[in-house]
Parts: sequence; C-alpha cells; structure tokens
Amino acid sequence: MQDLKTRRRGAATSQAPRPSLLRRTGRALTPLAWLGPSLVLICVVVLWPVIEMVRTSLQHITSSGVTVGYNGTTNYTDLFDEDDLIPVVLRTLLWVGGIVVITMTLSLALGQLLNARFPGRRVVRWAVIVPWAASVLMTALIWKWMLDNYSGLVNRVLLDLHIIDKPVNWLAHPGQAMLWMMWVAVFVSLPFTSFVILAGLQTIPEDVYEAARVDGASAFRTYFGITLPLLRPAILIASIINVINVFNSFPIIWAMTAGGPGSDTDTTTTFMYKLAFYDQHVGESGAMAVVNFALILVMVLFYLRAARWREEVR
Amino acid sequence: MKRHLLGVVAAGLTVALGVSGCGKGSSSDSGSDGKTIKFVAAIYDDNTKPYWDALIKDFEAKNSGYKVNLEMVDWSQMDAKVKTYVQTKQVPDVLNYNAFSDFARDGLIYKASEVLSPTTLSDFTPTFVEQAKYNGEQYGLPFISSARLLFYNKDLFEKAGIKSPPATWDEVKADAKKIKKGSTIGYGLPLGPEEAQAEFYSWAMNNGGGWVDASGKWAINQQANIDTLTFLKDLNKSGLTQPNPESTDRKTVFNQFAQGKVGMAIGGPFTKAGFIDPVNKSLNFGVAPLPSKSGSEHNTLGVMDVLAAFKKDDSKNKDAVKKFLDFFYQKENTSKFLTTEGFLPVTKSAGDALSADPYMKQFVDALPTSKFAPTTNPAWSAVAGAVKQDLGSSVANKDPKSVLDKIQETAEKAG
Repeated sequence: MQDLKTRRRGAATSQAPRPSLLRRTGRALTPLAWLGPSLVLICVVVLWPVIEMVRTSLQHITSSGVTVGYNGTTNYTDLFDEDDLIPVVLRTLLWVGGIVVITMTLSLALGQLLNARFPGRRVVRWAVIVPWAASVLMTALIWKWMLDNYSGLVNRVLLDLHIIDKPVNWLAHPGQAMLWMMWVAVFVSLPFTSFVILAGLQTIPEDVYEAARVDGASAFRTYFGITLPLLRPAILIASIINVINVFNSFPIIWAMTAGGPGSDTDTTTTFMYKLAFYDQHVGESGAMAVVNFALILVMVLFYLRAARWREEVR
Repeated sequence: MKRHLLGVVAAGLTVALGVSGCGKGSSSDSGSDGKTIKFVAAIYDDNTKPYWDALIKDFEAKNSGYKVNLEMVDWSQMDAKVKTYVQTKQVPDVLNYNAFSDFARDGLIYKASEVLSPTTLSDFTPTFVEQAKYNGEQYGLPFISSARLLFYNKDLFEKAGIKSPPATWDEVKADAKKIKKGSTIGYGLPLGPEEAQAEFYSWAMNNGGGWVDASGKWAINQQANIDTLTFLKDLNKSGLTQPNPESTDRKTVFNQFAQGKVGMAIGGPFTKAGFIDPVNKSLNFGVAPLPSKSGSEHNTLGVMDVLAAFKKDDSKNKDAVKKFLDFFYQKENTSKFLTTEGFLPVTKSAGDALSADPYMKQFVDALPTSKFAPTTNPAWSAVAGAVKQDLGSSVANKDPKSVLDKIQETAEKAG
C-alpha cells in the first residue's frame, strides 16, 4: 500500500511540465467557477435592484406609471418637503430600537431556558418555534382582530376583569397602536433570536463553567463574566438581522393600522408604499427607498462600529 | 466569523431591497398574432370569476381563433398591479378599473370610438359618457355604476319614536341622539382610508360643496366643505357616531349595522348582498335619499367603474379587443353581470333589467340626481389618495380647515 502511493506520487511529479500561459490563466480563473454563481447572484439580486432603485428616484414617472424621463433631484426635494417625513423617520428609529432591545433581552432569557435541562424541553422548544412558522401577516391579522373594538378578545378579557369599564379602540390611537404593533413585532422576532442565542450557548465549552465553579464564582458573576462575553458573536448577528428585518417590517403595520390614522403610525417602509400607491408619486417613493436604504446602511455600520466587530473577526 | 458577517450583510441587503426593488421586464408579450388578448378583471365578489369564465368560453366558441386570457385581481391589489403593468410595459389589452384619465393623458389607451361599434357607443347612458371623457373625447368605457343612499334601521327608529328617515342634517343629529343608547350607535361614519372620499362627498354635495368649482378648478377647501366636516366632527364629538371614525372602514360600520347596532349609515346597492345578508338576513331596514343641509334637494353619489382598452403591438390587438368588447356589451351579457353583482346599468338597453327588484329600483331611480367624483381629471387618483389618508383626522383631533387646505395643496400640485 505504502509502496503504491509513493510510486504514484513520484509519477505525478515527473510528469508535471512547466505550465503554459494558457494553463496558468486557466488556473487563475478556476476560482471563478466557484465564485461565479454567487457573484452573479449578488449582481442580480443586490446590485441591479440598487441601481434600479436609484434610477427610479431620479425619474419623473406619471401617475399611471409611464416614465417620462429624468428630472434631477425633484423627487428628493418633494420628499423632504413632506411634513410627515421627520416624524416618520423618528418613529422608525424608535420602532427599530425598541423592538430590537426588547427582543434581545427576552431572547437572552429564553435562550437560557431552552438550554437548561428540564423535562418537556423538547415541547417548549417547539412551542417557541411556532410563531416563526406562522406567517407574519397571519399573526398580525389575528392580533388585529383580538384588539378589535367591537368583538376583540383583549377588550372582552379586560372588561370581564373590570380593568376597563368600556371597550378601548386600541388600534385607533397612535400611541397604543404603536405599542401593540411593537409587541407583535417582538413576538414574531423572538423564535429566530432565541434560537441564535441557544446555538451560541451550546458553543460555550462546559470546562469554562467548571473552572468558574472551582474558583467559586457566583451565578451572577458566571453569567456576566463568561456567558455574555462568549455570546457576543451570536448577539451581534442576531441583532443585525433583527435591525434589518424590523426596519423593513411591512406586513405588521400594514395589516394592523395601515399606518393610520393619517400617517401617525407609519414607518419609512409603509410611508414609501403610500407615496407610490396613495399619492401616485412613484419617483418620490423611489427617493424614499434610497433614503431608507441609506438609513439602514448607516444604522448597521454604526452598530458594527459600536460593537467593534473587527476584533471579533480577528 | 468574517464569512458569516459578510453573509449576514449580503442577506441584509437582499432583505432591505426586497421591498424597494422593482425590476423592468421586456415589453415583448406572447400572442402578438392579434387574436389572443389579455383581460384583467377586478374581483367584485365570489361570483365574478365564474361569470367571466362562462362569458369568455361563450365568446371563444362564437369567434373561433380568438382567445381571451383572463386574470382576476382583487381590488385591494389593483392599484399596485396596474402601476406595475404600466411601468414594466406589460399592460393587458382590456382592463377593468376605476380610473382611466391618466392612461388617456399618457396616450396608453384607445378612444372609445376605436374599439366599440357605433351601436354599442350609442347605447351608453349620456351621464356616464360625460364621466368617461378626457379632453372632450370618450376614452373610458363605462362598465358598471353604483349610487349611495341612506340606510336606516326601522326597528331602532320605531323604538326611538321616529316616524320617518331624516331629510335634513339637523334631523340626522336629532335622530342619532334619540337612537343612541348603550352600545347602540346613532350614525355610522366610516372615514377610514378605505373610502373616505365617498363618505365625505356624500355629505358635502348635499351642502353645495364638492371637489371642484364651476370652472373645474380644485376647490377642496371651500367653505361648504369645511362646514360639512365641522358638522361631521360635531356628530363624532357628541358621541353620536361609532368611536374613531378616522380609522373605521365601511365594512365595520355595516357589520354593526347588520347586527342592529347602528341607526343610520350610507350604503350602496351592493350593501344588502355584500354586507347585511351574510350577517343578518332578517334585519328590518329601509333606504332613503341622502339627507341634505337644507332638506330641499337631495343629491346622490354616483360611482362608475370602467373598462379601458390598451394600445399594444402597433394596434394589432384592436380587432380582437373590439370583438370582445362588443360581445360583452350585448344586452343579455351586461345585464347578467349587473344582476349577478348587484350593480346599476350604464347602458340604456340594460336599464330596465334591475327595476323589477324593488330594492334595486330605489338606486336606479336615484341615478339621475347623482354626482360623480372628478374622475375625468388625471390628478383625481392622487387627490383621492390624499383624502383617504388624511381626511379622517379632521373629525378627530385636527382642524377641518387645515386638513382641507393641505389636500387642496396636494391637488394643485398634482395638476
């Protein structure tokens, strides 16, 4: 066996001639065969839409949808003239920040629970996945009906418990509506986030905890000294994905309040839709999309910076 | 780790773009032999698709070689779909929609005279032809119409000791006061985004208000309109309407109406089959003219949906489109659609098809006094969009005048 291998290797070396130019270019291009598909994918699903989006934002598109031509920055000036823009952007930041912080906090606890050994853990793990499996739109619609003024379950329960004395039209008041929608967004973000945390927890080696136990560290100390720091990569990834997801969340708001009354519960994403299909101003909506895109990039970059992700990479 | 992060960022970008990305397809379309056409129809209710399926089968049997591809679109998806069709240059040959004037302005559709035989053209009721014109030429092909009247619950009226439905605004308020009791609502006012423009105009037109002045210029912030909103706001603030009219849709109001919990609300011919019967077939209700401020003259809101025939493939589709449209506008075919769906006729020949039904007859009779939204103005859809979003807040926490001023501004900007 050993003999055979050596002989073969020997044969290979002796046969290898000086690679020709063609061969060398061919070899240099070989990685493309592996990279190609993903490059094409990135160009088609990432770069091309970005270019189209920017192009749309610079064009004059009539209310019927016909493109007339370029009209410079008119769409942007129209957008920045909207009285609703600033409140909508601020509300979006609050929406994203609030949901992501609450989701992360709850998920850390949930991940810990799912990681612990207890009878029925399998059932609990499945139960946490369920909201993820259900369509977001469906979840939002169910909550919309639960919060209904006339036949909603929430009002019924609160009335029966004598907490309120007449039905509350939850989704008609911007403040309350926002809180309820944020709750739904947290609810649908929890499964994914807590499972990322759970995966993170399972990568922490048991002997680190053992060492801590030997040194007599308290549970509190163990958590903040070992668990949390070692969870950093998981937390980082989970929060970035959540930021992007929540930022672009359309179905929850659209199904529950459609951004109303007025645009008092709009985020930039629903506002963008309204610009195109209520105000019949596709170009301005394109401008909003570009602003949205820039906002999300800036948010993610800030976050990465704050989290010093480069250290993580090294 | 790095690879992961890059992957995350790439995935993130994709998600971020998912909402905003809209590609442009090629304009080439199969079936350019001029004998196959695409027809996009709106879903009015569950009976719509079977109706078109049968009609198209019949058409294809009688015109061999011709083919109609049907696509059904829900009304809630329609605006987005239509805009995408136009933007990607994939317009259908025939579209069933509620607007046509911006297509005409942009040179996308045929004039009515190009795609209808003279017999069909002269069969349209003149009122509707007027609503289907752009720059003096008829482009829209009237499809169905509808009118609005005041629905009232006879049992609630009797219990409150009211003998006849209200004719004036003061009576509306007084009656609503008498009806209101516990969870019973006096007047159901849907000013949510679904159809705020229709509800508002139904009131404003009966106070001499409206969207435009005599010369056709936008006059949305005119005094009569401000007064109308002030009246509706007063109804709301006095607790005579359901809570939060600014976020209530028609469906919610008529669901409560059907349960006997609302005294009055404005509805159309489709309201009985679409909203009341499914909930409570035995509801004892009546239908009356829309109340007016003075009580002397009662206008009705008219609504018209249209068909639009798109130019395509150097007008090669004209012949097939014409054949199909003339087929649909035959008396028996149109009246079958109207009776199936509960709408009012737009042609003279189908006119008497519905008058046999006493409920429908009230709406047919109201049509001559009907006033329409300015759908002939290409800017109307943008104005309607602004009204849907913002008008409701005027009866809640905002000042009617400033809300109307803002909509007026939008209207003037749109054209």
